[in-house]
Amino acid sequence: MALGVLAAATLALDAIYLSPKRAIPLKFLIPGTVFLIAFQVVPIVYNVNVGFTNWSTGHILVKSEAIDGIKRNSLGPPANGTSYAMAPARDEDGDLVLLLVDEADGKEYVGTKDELKPLDKGSLKLGQFGTIASAPGYEIVKGRDLLALDQELAGFTVPTASGAIRAEGTETALELAPTLRYSRLNDTFTRIEDGKVFRDNGKGSFVAASGEELEPGWRTNIGLANFSAVLRDPLIREPFVRVFIWTFVFALSIVLISFALGLFLAIVLDKPTLRFRRIYQLLLVVPYALPGFLAVLIWGGLLNDDFGVVNSLLHAHIPWLFDPWWAKVSVIAVSVWLTVPYFLLVSLGALQSIPGELVEAARVDGGGGWQIFRRVTLPLLLVVVAPLMIASFAVNFNSFVTIYLLTAGGPASNDQSVAGATDILITYTYKLAFEAGKGNDFGLASAVSIFIFFIVASITGAAFWRSGSLENVR
Amino acid sequence: MSTADQTIERVEPRVAERSRLPRPSLQGDWWRHLVALIAVAIALFPIAYVASAAFNADSSLGGASLIPRSVTLDNFRELLSPDPAKSQLQSSTSHYARWLGNSLVIALSVALLNVLLGALAAYAFSRFRFRGRRMGLLFLLLIQMFPQVLALVAIYLIVLRTGAVFPFMGLDTKVGLLLVYLGGVMGINTWLLKGFFDTIPSELDESARVDGATPSQIFWGVVLPLALPILSVIAILSFVGIFNEYILASTLLQSNENFTLPVGLKGYIDKQYSEHWGPFAAGVLLAGIPIMIIFMSLQRFIVSGLTQGSVKG
Repeated sequence: MALGVLAAATLALDAIYLSPKRAIPLKFLIPGTVFLIAFQVVPIVYNVNVGFTNWSTGHILVKSEAIDGIKRNSLGPPANGTSYAMAPARDEDGDLVLLLVDEADGKEYVGTKDELKPLDKGSLKLGQFGTIASAPGYEIVKGRDLLALDQELAGFTVPTASGAIRAEGTETALELAPTLRYSRLNDTFTRIEDGKVFRDNGKGSFVAASGEELEPGWRTNIGLANFSAVLRDPLIREPFVRVFIWTFVFALSIVLISFALGLFLAIVLDKPTLRFRRIYQLLLVVPYALPGFLAVLIWGGLLNDDFGVVNSLLHAHIPWLFDPWWAKVSVIAVSVWLTVPYFLLVSLGALQSIPGELVEAARVDGGGGWQIFRRVTLPLLLVVVAPLMIASFAVNFNSFVTIYLLTAGGPASNDQSVAGATDILITYTYKLAFEAGKGNDFGLASAVSIFIFFIVASITGAAFWRSGSLENVR
Repeated sequence: MSTADQTIERVEPRVAERSRLPRPSLQGDWWRHLVALIAVAIALFPIAYVASAAFNADSSLGGASLIPRSVTLDNFRELLSPDPAKSQLQSSTSHYARWLGNSLVIALSVALLNVLLGALAAYAFSRFRFRGRRMGLLFLLLIQMFPQVLALVAIYLIVLRTGAVFPFMGLDTKVGLLLVYLGGVMGINTWLLKGFFDTIPSELDESARVDGATPSQIFWGVVLPLALPILSVIAILSFVGIFNEYILASTLLQSNENFTLPVGLKGYIDKQYSEHWGPFAAGVLLAGIPIMIIFMSLQRFIVSGLTQGSVKG
């Protein structure tokens, strides 16, 4: 399969690069496009697909694997089952096998992961207490290796006609029989004991009429259920809406505060005769030049409630990162610290691009200082800066590093959800998929990420539309 | 004193103002200096603090102060070759040199390939007219709005499965991470580069073509050398961007020795703020200062690149 893909790709590339005249643009486009498709387009398409499934903890497997899993889980020792003296061993290929001696009739077997094979009587040498001491052709696992084998042994079953044989401890094995029977015809499991029937509920589980569910489930298409859960299910909608509002507040306040401070500093510095002007400007840009993750980690130390320098300077004991309210203040403040230099630079550039004649004209017409700023300078400035503010909003909307490295979205909230007080949509999505204490929910995470895409796309789309960038596509 | 005063001052053209040589005075501008100094203090205070902590003999967070009480290089030593007895937890052991090395190798390779692949694509978009060109450009823009981070689950699963066939590019490998980063090369950079290529007169291409040059000879010999300034800006921006990247790296890399700097340092300092502060501060200086110097020295170019549409995250 992999080789086939590789060969086909090589042929296609040869056809493009070795033909002298055809497809010249393709020669230039392909190198970047290959990666674009492999690591952006395919993941996005895949992601959208996952959004329509119930892929989550307990629903990882495909259905056939899940059915095998249920069958395996249902194995239990029957009332009068056979028990064996057992020794785990390696065969010539190094594969794990169980050497077995039926405790009732003394027949000898070797059990592989595929079948139970009878051995000639006397093939296994028994030790003092009925344990298996040695076997020609097999190497019995002993001592330290036996301890290391624990996990593998617990998951190892030898299939038999009526069920399976599984090790119990390291010296005995029991014959197990299934407690559930699968009917391929009806696609149902029936419990042998009480005849209870478990049916495929269409959502990736076998469920009885009473609501009892068999583990594991499987992943399957559940249509729009994840999307409607985000919009309707109060347990999911409530944290989603809370996180959504906070994300907006977070991004918007960063942009507005940073722009206001950056513009103010730009106005302060925008006087060519000001002494040390270039030095001030250089120093003020330092937070922007420092790699962002380092800055955030530094602030994490400075804002530490016990030993942090901020608290010791203020002679206070403010839980900057552990109180829901203060944590929100902290993540906004740190982000503003990171963003102000950008708006300072942008505003300085924009101020210098405003023609002096306009301000002059306004002054001749009798405008006051504030009036001129409000009616002439600011509108002209916003023409340049507004698209950048929108772009910055979109960036902060997804500023994973700041939130994740500073508070990790915490402190935890009181409700049942994984969303903490400072979680923004993107960290919330990340937690849903990878960190949920209640298991991973890839399906829901993907659905949420599609929502984020539409939000960000409409914001950035509006920005590009307003700034007219799209008209350059000739 | 309102903000508008200076707007009025700017009324006269600047050149004239300079030629009159007004004596720079501190008196009329005292408030400007005050504001600027306060702002500088706020901007620099965390960095000054870290610089001090890096050389402070007391490496705990509580023992940090603005001026170190006794200067030492122990923190750097502890960071670069940690005493195995002291750091018992695997996850909190410093492999600083390796982390930095990984980060540099990955960020440098991505930056170079980014420029190369981006320029190739931009050249095609700028110089050739072909079917799907306009759609391709708009598609590149649209796809940027779906940040790679959001497709994390899918990327993780793709790399996991690729690794099952080609282990050298699977999970927990530098190659795997590098390839994933390369997925982002055709994007806003292609737009920036295309815009720049459009400004290079096509007469140059024409004359080269008349002299018998092939498209690839024109690309390597004519267009690329002319675009070197913008190429270097894009390379640096992409270097810094990748150097900063945390989420993909932390998802795809699993063993301590393979971490990039953000992932490693985060694990090193996480919940260990009080103990590891000094070595951490040393690490910040070692990694941060070179980047800052590069960034500040190219500030002018970078800002003009930024105002053309991309924003540093």
